[in-house]
Amino acid sequence: MGETFSWLIAGPFMYLAVIIFVAVTLKKVVTIASMPRHLRWDLYPIAHEGPAGSVFQKVEFWKQPRAVHLAYELAEMAEEIFLLKRTFLYNRKMWNFSYPMHAGFYLIIGWIGLVKFGALLELIVGLKVSGASTVFWAQALNAATILAGAAGLVLGLFGCLGLLWMRYTDEDLKDFSSPVTFLNLYLLIALFGVGLVAWLVEDPSFVLARGYVASLYVFKPAVLPPIMTFEALLLGIFLIYLPFSRMLHFAAKYFFYHNIMWDDEPLVAGGSLDKTIGGYLHFKAEWSAPHLKSGGSWLEQATTNPAKPKEEGK
Amino acid sequence: MKHKVRLKDMAKPAEVLCPLAVTDLDPVPGYEERPFKQVKPEWKEKYDLSLDGFSALALTPPATKEAEEELVNKFLRGLEKLFTKENNWTFMQPTALSTDYCVRCNTCNEACPVYVESGRQDIYRPNYRSELLRKIYQRYFTTEGRLLGSFVGADVELNWRTIYRLAELTYRCTICRRCAATCPVGVDNGLMNRELRKLFSQELGIASEGVHKGGTMRHLQTGSSTGMTPAAFLDTIEFIEDDIEERIGRRIKIPIDKKGADILLIHNAGEFVSWPENPAAFAILLDAAGIDWTLSSESMGYEGVNYGTWYDDFQFARVAVAQVQAAKKLGVRRIVVGECGHATKALVEIADRVCVGDLAIPREGCLPLLEQIVTSGAIKFDPSKNNFPITLHDPCNMVRLMGIVSPQRNVLKAITPPGCFREMPNAGVMNYCCGGGSGFAVMNSMNFPEWRDSVASRMKAKQVLEAFSDCLDPSIPKYYCAPCSNCKGAARDALMEYYGFRDKYNIIYGGLVELMVNAMVDIEKPFVSWEDEF
Ligand code: SF4
Ligand code: SF4
Repeated sequence: MGETFSWLIAGPFMYLAVIIFVAVTLKKVVTIASMPRHLRWDLYPIAHEGPAGSVFQKVEFWKQPRAVHLAYELAEMAEEIFLLKRTFLYNRKMWNFSYPMHAGFYLIIGWIGLVKFGALLELIVGLKVSGASTVFWAQALNAATILAGAAGLVLGLFGCLGLLWMRYTDEDLKDFSSPVTFLNLYLLIALFGVGLVAWLVEDPSFVLARGYVASLYVFKPAVLPPIMTFEALLLGIFLIYLPFSRMLHFAAKYFFYHNIMWDDEPLVAGGSLDKTIGGYLHFKAEWSAPHLKSGGSWLEQATTNPAKPKEEGK
Repeated sequence: MKHKVRLKDMAKPAEVLCPLAVTDLDPVPGYEERPFKQVKPEWKEKYDLSLDGFSALALTPPATKEAEEELVNKFLRGLEKLFTKENNWTFMQPTALSTDYCVRCNTCNEACPVYVESGRQDIYRPNYRSELLRKIYQRYFTTEGRLLGSFVGADVELNWRTIYRLAELTYRCTICRRCAATCPVGVDNGLMNRELRKLFSQELGIASEGVHKGGTMRHLQTGSSTGMTPAAFLDTIEFIEDDIEERIGRRIKIPIDKKGADILLIHNAGEFVSWPENPAAFAILLDAAGIDWTLSSESMGYEGVNYGTWYDDFQFARVAVAQVQAAKKLGVRRIVVGECGHATKALVEIADRVCVGDLAIPREGCLPLLEQIVTSGAIKFDPSKNNFPITLHDPCNMVRLMGIVSPQRNVLKAITPPGCFREMPNAGVMNYCCGGGSGFAVMNSMNFPEWRDSVASRMKAKQVLEAFSDCLDPSIPKYYCAPCSNCKGAARDALMEYYGFRDKYNIIYGGLVELMVNAMVDIEKPFVSWEDEF
């Protein structure tokens, strides 16, 4: 019974969770990406303009080539992603916990990568990744895996506990924390906490984890020991839940920065943006305030003067 | 005192949810607070002042249950429209993302001058309005909200109180977007505030009178938000020509409706009425620099403001399109917007995706042009003529929202002696709003101006005091340079009148061009004076 349960969790359920995670995340990303191009709503400094700063600072700026330096944009994004720059600058207390939590995630993602890589090596080359290996880089891979996994679990747990403590004790945060906010934190605490216990008790060198991943590759899911089964259950639940929750901000953030704050593409007459917006002008808007024309297209609205007819009628 | 007002409380009956008193506010050094004026009893009877004891909208509560139901339904219909592309292609993506992905970390709170200066009152948190919007949206339009209710946070009841308080609350934010600049995720509470204002305006016909009836509607009706008709505009120009002659001893013919000019200059028409020395200074400078320019006397062509920027996409588009059409008619090569932050942002940038096809004619702000005038050497300046302490206000719309940071500084450096120009704290993109943003400078109904001057402008008052901390003595004349018409309005009402900076510290305010003309070698009499009332 126990083994069947473990197999169901570690096997079919895990495949399902990964599929749902990928599909829903993709769907959400596509939905966001296909929303109409909005009016410009820039916020400066715009990273890709680089140190020269805003193009609006120049006379006849439209004559200048548009400054889009990908390197500056990537550098700013990297600072934000890997250091949580804005939280560091403007909310240090939260950064003290939010940063370890995010670092925990990144380390765990790195750990998953290392475990997968190790599993592939074992499958394809037949090389055993282990501390006892005589091959240097198999030993190094083993050490890196242990370091990333252990540090990720400890930092993640510490960060989540700190954030939970803040949400319970900070009066101002409380009103903005609904039960689901706490649920999210408890789920993460369980994920990191149980993972930590499983590592300590059942799989200190991640041999089982690597073997398990290898078993998933060949569609012969391994049976896991009890704590690891529980961790797999939690991970599956987390993966399914993640894209439905506000934790998907990791993907949304890209659009916030790249497509909203930093979208400074100018409209050029006859260009593709001109055509796109020109298309939107045929949308029928259904707003119903008295100064608007009911059922009129956007273009009609924009060229109607609600104040004029009254004047003429006088 | 901090008043604990939970989000859920918005729906609750209470005479005033957050009864603000001057003792709640963050103190301004050297300023003795005067208690707020008593609210007139007839206002109390007629209007809803139940948010904080102030009213920007003069809303009367619905008389019957049916009227309340209609209000609630209309609000919900409007809310739904914010999330459909046909009704809101203009801002749907940022609205939807800001609705779904705030992580409720409150990082944005400390960035907001209104929140901080109010003594950190809950209701003024940048994310308070957005959170209310989210909770209502969740409750009525999402599956998890309908099924799980308060577990997912969908716990705000929607009644007339919630709606009216929320409407008032949207006029407690200057849309300066300083909060957005600090949000780690990218959520824009300034935008969310504007979306809410838009919902109220476009669906319920609720908007501030100063911004809508006396603003865009009057603009569309008479040609200017000031009510100045084309004929009155021409009279004003004549008056300004006389004024220039008196000031500099020679007459300048201000070009009007010059076909095919290089530049059509569009001022905020408030300048012609309240600060004619500003368009006068522009005329002197452009004439001396030999620039081929013109003003337009066409209805909408002499008025740069676009109050739709702050509350209504359609009003925004109508004004922007009409302004560009006026330029088209003249066949000018480019439009330059005068010293007005929101007008610059609205016409140069936001309108970029409204003025399509043959309306896509080049538009720019005036600050780079002023810098070019200084660096080109076309005019000789003597910096020693500006030998007094000067500080510079960065209008949010030009600086944080357009990134125009250095031209005005380069101008000041060229026309002032070393040591006279001093930055205020947080200068540049992290500046604080003057308190007049989002239409506050032109909103004067009921007791709202008292709230605006005491709360919204308070941070600016403190910054100005800090910038001049070494020369506050009234024997030293000082200049607060605000190259934006709205910011000058706020300076006049709040800094000069409410906080008494002119009388107490001998600080005056004005634009950048006045300082430029003041430094012109060819002009003998000082253009800037502490004797006249500007
Ligand atoms: S808007 Fe941004 S800074 Fe403010 S609470 Fe939400 S995520 Fe945090
Ligand atoms: S936009 Fe400005 S005033 Fe409005 S909430 Fe944000 S910081 Fe405060």
